[in-house]
Amino acid sequence: MDAAAHGRYPNALRKIDPRGPMFSKILIANRGEIAVRIIKTARRMGIATVVVYSEADRDSMAVEMADESVFIGPAPAAQSYLVMDKIVAAARETGADAIHPGFGFLSEKAEFADRLLAEKITFIGPNPGAIRAMGDKIESKRTAGAADVSTVPGFIGEIEGVAHAIKISEEIGYPVMIKASAGGGGKGIRVAANRREVEEGFPAVVAEAKGAFGDDRVFIEKFVLNPRHIEIQVLGDKHGNVVHLFERECSIQRRNQKVIEEAPSPLLDEKTRERMGAQAVALSKAVGYDSAGTVEFVASGADKSFYFLEMNTRLQVEHPVTEAITGLDLVEQMIRVAAGEKLGFKQKDLKINGWAIESRIYAEDPYRNFLPSIGRLRRYRPPAEGKTGVVTVRNDAGVREGDEISMFYDPMIAKLVTHAPTRLEAIDAQATALDSFTIEGIQDNIPFLGAVMDEARFRSGDITTAYIKDQFPDGFNGTQPTDDQRELLVACAAFAQALVAQRAAQISGQIAGYTPDARAERVVIIGDAVIPVVVTLGEEGAVVAQNGDGREVRLVSTWRPGQPVMEGRFGKAAFAVKISSRAEGFRLKLRGVTETVIVASPRAAQLHGLIPPKPAADTSKVVMSPMPGLVVSIDVVAGQEVKAGEGVAIVEAMKMQNIIRAERDGVVAKVNVAAGASVAADEVLIELG
Amino acid sequence: MKHIIEALEAKRQAARAGGGEKRMASQHAKGKLTARERVELLLDPGSFEEFDMFVEHRNADFGMADNKIPGDGVVTGFGTVNGRLVYVFSKDFTVFGGSLSMAHAEKIVKVQAMAIQNGAPCIGIFDAGGARIQEGVQSLAGYADIFMNNILGSGVIPQISVIMGPCAGGDVYSPAMTDFVFMVRDTSYMFVTGPDVVKTVTNETVTAEELGGARVHSAKSGVVDGAFENDFETLSEMRRLIDFLPSSNREKPPVRPSFDDADRDDPSLDTLIPDNPNKPYDMKELLEKVADEGDLFEIGRDFGRNIITAFGRLEGSTVGFVANQPMTLAGVLDIDASRKAARFVRFCDAFNIPIVTFVDVPGFLPGTKQEYGGLIKHGAKLLFAYGEATVPKVTVITRKAYGGAYDVMSSKHLRGDVNYAWPTAEIAVMGAKGAVEIIFRGDLGDPEKIAARTKEYQDRFANPFVAASLGYLDDVIMPRETRRRIIRSLRALKGKKLENPWKKHDNIPL
Repeated sequence: MDAAAHGRYPNALRKIDPRGPMFSKILIANRGEIAVRIIKTARRMGIATVVVYSEADRDSMAVEMADESVFIGPAPAAQSYLVMDKIVAAARETGADAIHPGFGFLSEKAEFADRLLAEKITFIGPNPGAIRAMGDKIESKRTAGAADVSTVPGFIGEIEGVAHAIKISEEIGYPVMIKASAGGGGKGIRVAANRREVEEGFPAVVAEAKGAFGDDRVFIEKFVLNPRHIEIQVLGDKHGNVVHLFERECSIQRRNQKVIEEAPSPLLDEKTRERMGAQAVALSKAVGYDSAGTVEFVASGADKSFYFLEMNTRLQVEHPVTEAITGLDLVEQMIRVAAGEKLGFKQKDLKINGWAIESRIYAEDPYRNFLPSIGRLRRYRPPAEGKTGVVTVRNDAGVREGDEISMFYDPMIAKLVTHAPTRLEAIDAQATALDSFTIEGIQDNIPFLGAVMDEARFRSGDITTAYIKDQFPDGFNGTQPTDDQRELLVACAAFAQALVAQRAAQISGQIAGYTPDARAERVVIIGDAVIPVVVTLGEEGAVVAQNGDGREVRLVSTWRPGQPVMEGRFGKAAFAVKISSRAEGFRLKLRGVTETVIVASPRAAQLHGLIPPKPAADTSKVVMSPMPGLVVSIDVVAGQEVKAGEGVAIVEAMKMQNIIRAERDGVVAKVNVAAGASVAADEVLIELG
Repeated sequence: MKHIIEALEAKRQAARAGGGEKRMASQHAKGKLTARERVELLLDPGSFEEFDMFVEHRNADFGMADNKIPGDGVVTGFGTVNGRLVYVFSKDFTVFGGSLSMAHAEKIVKVQAMAIQNGAPCIGIFDAGGARIQEGVQSLAGYADIFMNNILGSGVIPQISVIMGPCAGGDVYSPAMTDFVFMVRDTSYMFVTGPDVVKTVTNETVTAEELGGARVHSAKSGVVDGAFENDFETLSEMRRLIDFLPSSNREKPPVRPSFDDADRDDPSLDTLIPDNPNKPYDMKELLEKVADEGDLFEIGRDFGRNIITAFGRLEGSTVGFVANQPMTLAGVLDIDASRKAARFVRFCDAFNIPIVTFVDVPGFLPGTKQEYGGLIKHGAKLLFAYGEATVPKVTVITRKAYGGAYDVMSSKHLRGDVNYAWPTAEIAVMGAKGAVEIIFRGDLGDPEKIAARTKEYQDRFANPFVAASLGYLDDVIMPRETRRRIIRSLRALKGKKLENPWKKHDNIPL
């Protein structure tokens, strides 16, 4: 583990002040992958670690890895990870001299930093003053403006009413954004393109702000065209030094939740990068920033203008892409500056090396509108980490096979990072790594991520924060294979079937004279296509010719039946395809593609062709249980009218109650199950007329 | 000579033509393959040896004298599945609707008899309209002859019935007596009497699908052991099943090379059992992680889902897995689960297939519905089946083994050969709460005392060590090593020889 971590930062600039006081033990006030991440660095630095854990994390990987662990209460964060007294007590009890808050939880709570100051425990993060200065959105914009950081044209101050709002909007120029000061997570935001929309939107945002945040302050600002989320990583020490570690682009978001991040940004040129970096440094210096932090900007894809959004005074989830292109370990740097060391490098020492892409692997079902999917990881096989050729793969995770993805915390399973010399190489490496990343037991967004890696607009770098909404307006329903992908899938299936058949022919108890069907001709049925192939098994794979065009392609793989991923080379290209057995065939997954493929003898394929496909069951008229479980209640009766999205039943699975909703309007025609019944996944609960 | 050869060829052509192009096209239009096409898909290419192509019916009544088609509505013979001999008959719906004449029956009886004599599985493909009414009682006699061979062959050779069309009357009773019955969804039905008769007799309006479709029989009645999407998938799955089965009761299960490592540990099994004893988990995960390559063939997947019965392989050789499924009804034993598992255990025992049992059972399901349905007798079937079985029996208790259900589930006391438990096992007469409420009835008014007693009972029995100290368990094993330990046990049991006292046959509580 340590060796791997070392290898991860080949360019680390480790000139440190040997006189600096270093911590002997740090406590990590966090969980999951970030706790594991911090433990790895601390261990490499020779610092002992303590993690705190809730009821739900009793057997977590972080607890297993840390030198010590302290139980801090029930699963809900408000009763454990967010309780300062418990964290402080755990640090006292274990004699930890510093606390790393990770991200989320207490990481941006100034009171926590205050408290640690009073307790004489070092907070591995910025000073409380800097946290406060950047904590309030309106305050932070004032500070930024004062530091000559470009801010979005807008009005900061008390807005007196609708008439005032219209006046402000017209001064700024449409479109404008009306936003709650305390807002976040997509709540309390409206875009207005004209006077009428301000009239409607302003009171709505005020009401929403009051309702959701108890704070009805609202501001109005310019709405940026083709907005892209670009952020600058900064790093400061307690001696007034601040550098920036270039940018990350996080435009690929779904409902304001980042999904794919990269560094550097395909939008920026050197000049813009320098200007953004200089502004981020200026702002950091203005607030006396003394740790790792991130200055977020919205940049216009139209003219590369950029405007300050906010500053996050903590380590970011997506920090590994910055580590990949700078060779720095940000956690290490945070620990060093917290201990009082000076930064060991200057801005001029830093340069961008290659390109890094990060995918967030979430426990959610991309085919069901990204519905959260929690439960046990029956299989969890991430791709191999490390450097192969010019590509480096890194996977930050806090789970092992057999662990549980719990409802109590963020549904992120892992962060997969690939680094390569160019953007396209990094994307291709990411795609292949995703192809081999196997998760079973719960649904994951890997097919969706794979589809994005393949998508032309993403690959071109012409992205905005609306990318997912624009490219997948109807949600994600899987992608169709390209010709090349189909050729690969056909070859994989043909090779797999040849192996299966070869082994089947070796069963005991055969009658005399039996000779296995040695003919290499097979037919692969994939979707509507019927593709003749000739397969010749070799020592380490097979040679496959398709479509009778005489062109033979070598498939090299050590795959054997029972393994979930077939990896190898097809022709010149490396590939990974997820594979599972089906009747006389296989289900194959590659990028966003899922195909059930039949491999048969030519005659059997001919017979298969005689069977007309069944019309797909009309599932829009039924409400099915998405998981096996126990019916707690059926909340409708036959004849009752239901609206799309209305809860019609409750199914309990794994002690969790799930509200099952109608997907469209209709009248209940039939109720198929009663409360108390146990149902299978996809069992029809209610039929709609 | 030449004209004889020509006549032969002409007859063969006529037989192959079955009911003619039009009827075959209509068969295809319904999503069904023809009798011969099905045989082709079932067997290895070119391996089919057909019998009785020239057999015709001998009926002269009701205008049948001039209405003869060679083969008479059923294709019979033998062939191989991956080189292993099987006998097969496949009813031809295009010829007289697949209806059964005496001659038709004789063809089936012939292959059945040869299968029994030569020790090879017999597979029947059904797509038939019942008796050839024109033949009257002769047709009924023909059915009985087939039934008789089903009975004589039972426990001697594996018999498999595949329902691939509408079947009623005699064409459901023969399948009912075979070891396994499978159906094709949407194109096959099974009932003793069809919807029209039902309407006449009981005034109940019901569709064929509701009365005897694949969903009904695979999930509700338990008459069939599985349902598949279409003819192609069904016959592919039959080949997969046959690869698991010994050819007869005189043989050991087939062996084929395994790509899986016998010593493979699976650390993720250590966390399979949730901390909360009332939380379910999916037992199928254990089966998949223990079996070679995770490859299983489930019998009765949709029926009595609180118990799993499946064929799998260890070191390439077939075993029968029986496992309580906590995901459904907490894995309780009820009528359906008991019936399903009992039949599976008896099949394994009849055909020398070792039985691997995974136990997590809270007991038998209480209630009037179960008691009125005869749970006592149905539960006794499973008890009986396990007790009489003389094949190697390896058992692993993963969590609960409560009450009589502990005894039933292949316990040491029923001649279990190797009985393991995971450290999470709880072996007791019942759960601690229930036990304390009975033993300390007098303290019921005092919740504190009851809590203390419950804890006492829990500490005493909510572990495998009491049973292990008595030798009822041979060892307590780590979940991760389950596969390795079972394989080692089975290696040692290869030479097992155990016989029950001589009897004409037993009297299992039917």
